[in-house]
Amino acid sequence: MATRTVTKPEDQTFEQKIQRARELYATGSEVGKAALEVLIRDLKSGTSRREPATRMSSAGRIGNRQGKVSELLVIAPLAPGGAERLRAMLELRDGDFSDTDKVGTVHDMRFLLLDNETKMLFATAYDGDWDPYIDDFAAKIPDGLDVLFGGIWEGWPGIHSPKVKDWIVSHQIPAVGWYVAHPDLTVKDITRLKRLGKAVDEFLDKVQ
Amino acid sequence: MLSLKESAGEALSTPSPALEVSDIQATVLRPRPKPYCGEYVILRVGNAEQGREMLRRILPHVAPADEWWVPSLPGWLGIAFTFEGLKALGVPQSSLDSFPIEFRQGMAARAETLHDFGANAPANWEYPFGTPDVHIALAIYAKTNQDLQEVLDIARKSHHDLPQISVVYRMEFGELPEGRNPFGFKDGLHNPHVEGSGPAPAGTEAQVKAGEFVMSYPDEKGETANVPIPLELRRNGTFVAIRKFHMNVAAFRRYLRAEASSPEEEELIAAKMVGRWRSGAPLVLAPNHDDPALGADGNRNNDFSYANDMKGLSCPFSAHIRRVNPRDALKDEVVAVNLHHFLRRGTNYGSPLPEGVLEDDGAERGGVFLLIGAYLHRQFEFIQSQWITDGNFISHGTEQDPLIGNNDGEGVFTIPRAPVRRRLKGVPRFVSVRGGEYCFMPGLRALRWIADLKPMMEADNVRSR
Repeated sequence: MATRTVTKPEDQTFEQKIQRARELYATGSEVGKAALEVLIRDLKSGTSRREPATRMSSAGRIGNRQGKVSELLVIAPLAPGGAERLRAMLELRDGDFSDTDKVGTVHDMRFLLLDNETKMLFATAYDGDWDPYIDDFAAKIPDGLDVLFGGIWEGWPGIHSPKVKDWIVSHQIPAVGWYVAHPDLTVKDITRLKRLGKAVDEFLDKVQ
Repeated sequence: MLSLKESAGEALSTPSPALEVSDIQATVLRPRPKPYCGEYVILRVGNAEQGREMLRRILPHVAPADEWWVPSLPGWLGIAFTFEGLKALGVPQSSLDSFPIEFRQGMAARAETLHDFGANAPANWEYPFGTPDVHIALAIYAKTNQDLQEVLDIARKSHHDLPQISVVYRMEFGELPEGRNPFGFKDGLHNPHVEGSGPAPAGTEAQVKAGEFVMSYPDEKGETANVPIPLELRRNGTFVAIRKFHMNVAAFRRYLRAEASSPEEEELIAAKMVGRWRSGAPLVLAPNHDDPALGADGNRNNDFSYANDMKGLSCPFSAHIRRVNPRDALKDEVVAVNLHHFLRRGTNYGSPLPEGVLEDDGAERGGVFLLIGAYLHRQFEFIQSQWITDGNFISHGTEQDPLIGNNDGEGVFTIPRAPVRRRLKGVPRFVSVRGGEYCFMPGLRALRWIADLKPMMEADNVRSR
């Protein structure tokens, strides 16, 4: 869990934040300490200082949101044999995630084996809230999530279980920090812009 | 590759059991009379026993949905309760706690989810909406004013000698000429058909499982609602999202005038926004001109799908009726549309803005909608947050419903066309939220259950069933 500071970060002045960071980095490594000074210099000079397009906000019950994009990270113990099943499923797919394409709101998915392959970390960035669509997933792609997690995570209740939302939330760890280059673009926006860009290129090729 | 299932209810071949129509309130299943007039009354209960006494008196007059397809009653009374209202009536804590979170919080607290920002924010709502003073909502529908007065009199007598029951809000409503809404469109044309509720009207799409709209029947997920507890309370009950809208008719006309170069084009843009022409004729069936005969024909004006308009060239993706009820338009998406329906009982209030007037006369006019379903979260809240106030589901970015979205003057409305789409900008807020509440509309036996609660039962002793 994150440690709490006495003063909330937003209540501190820029100078106070610099001072606090310097104090903390002073007891850290030399490379970190030197690099911090570069960051402070850049932030002060204004070369990299700008108001962000979005700030981290809540993605519903838990997790963070940047503009239209949300993050979800879950760590849970593997079922016995779960790591082998995960690898077999990924090998079987051989990169084919067209079932995920169909959902139309998933930016990425990452599967990591932790702690001597006793746990799996799953991380994803997706558009909006997943919560309103969970019933739709169960109805329209009933196996879409169960094929990713069933038999892999210990205790995955199954997409049809009324407990599935609570299970995810209970294993979810919200990010402390998260950078998104284009928080205003959903997967569908990107698809549309790619199509548009292609059409504009074709047009420009014709008129050049 | 996984294939999309056609519909959520596909696996269930068994039809819904016959509905206990004598126990379900008429408001849930019965279309408003035609012509109609009526009144909404909101009561505050200052004392639980007086509240229950009022209920015991009014109960025999609450209209059941028997023979709902033969609208023979001259006027009828519907009754529903907010969470605060159930509390004020002494409903046991374990029952209160068992209600879904959105109902316990109330509509005002859900403003962020519902996109009720700016002018639509609860802070700008009319009293008593969004305050803890809304306890009981009465909806009275009648064919004539005389019938209405009769029912109002019954309602009044139910509490006139109970000083702790106060009327905090009254609002009359009535039909506008030709059954149009204030914007000039024929309204109340479509509702999903509830399986087991009677014969389906011609041209309706597939029936929807009764459990989507009335608790204690199987729903589209093949489940049966198991809250609130006990069964006696939820059986044949449902939830109602009440929304009162103000319609800025002058702004709508001015916008059409500004964007169009002829009266015909004004009508076309208006129809593109709604998805129907003013007569009710759907754009999919009448893409170029209004067809009043089609609009008036109840056998045909709902008999359409979007299968042949998947590019939106007839009816824009963003058109109001295509957003709120996508029919088959989203069949290739991971959306189970049958999980996102509500029954809509709409009524209009105020006088029409005279034809041709482009300046707002400051008069209050608009509509009050009762949006009925067993699951507020995946029905009203989903439709409002995903389909009305967002555009991502149709790859339209943040574009909102052109008619009822919370547009703030910077709204966009996309009209697909060949070879180049047309995009209208600067869409203002044509419809403002004046107030709203989440209510529970119990079955008649459940009303009796509430009315007969004993003070000692208010203790936390209801077992989960």
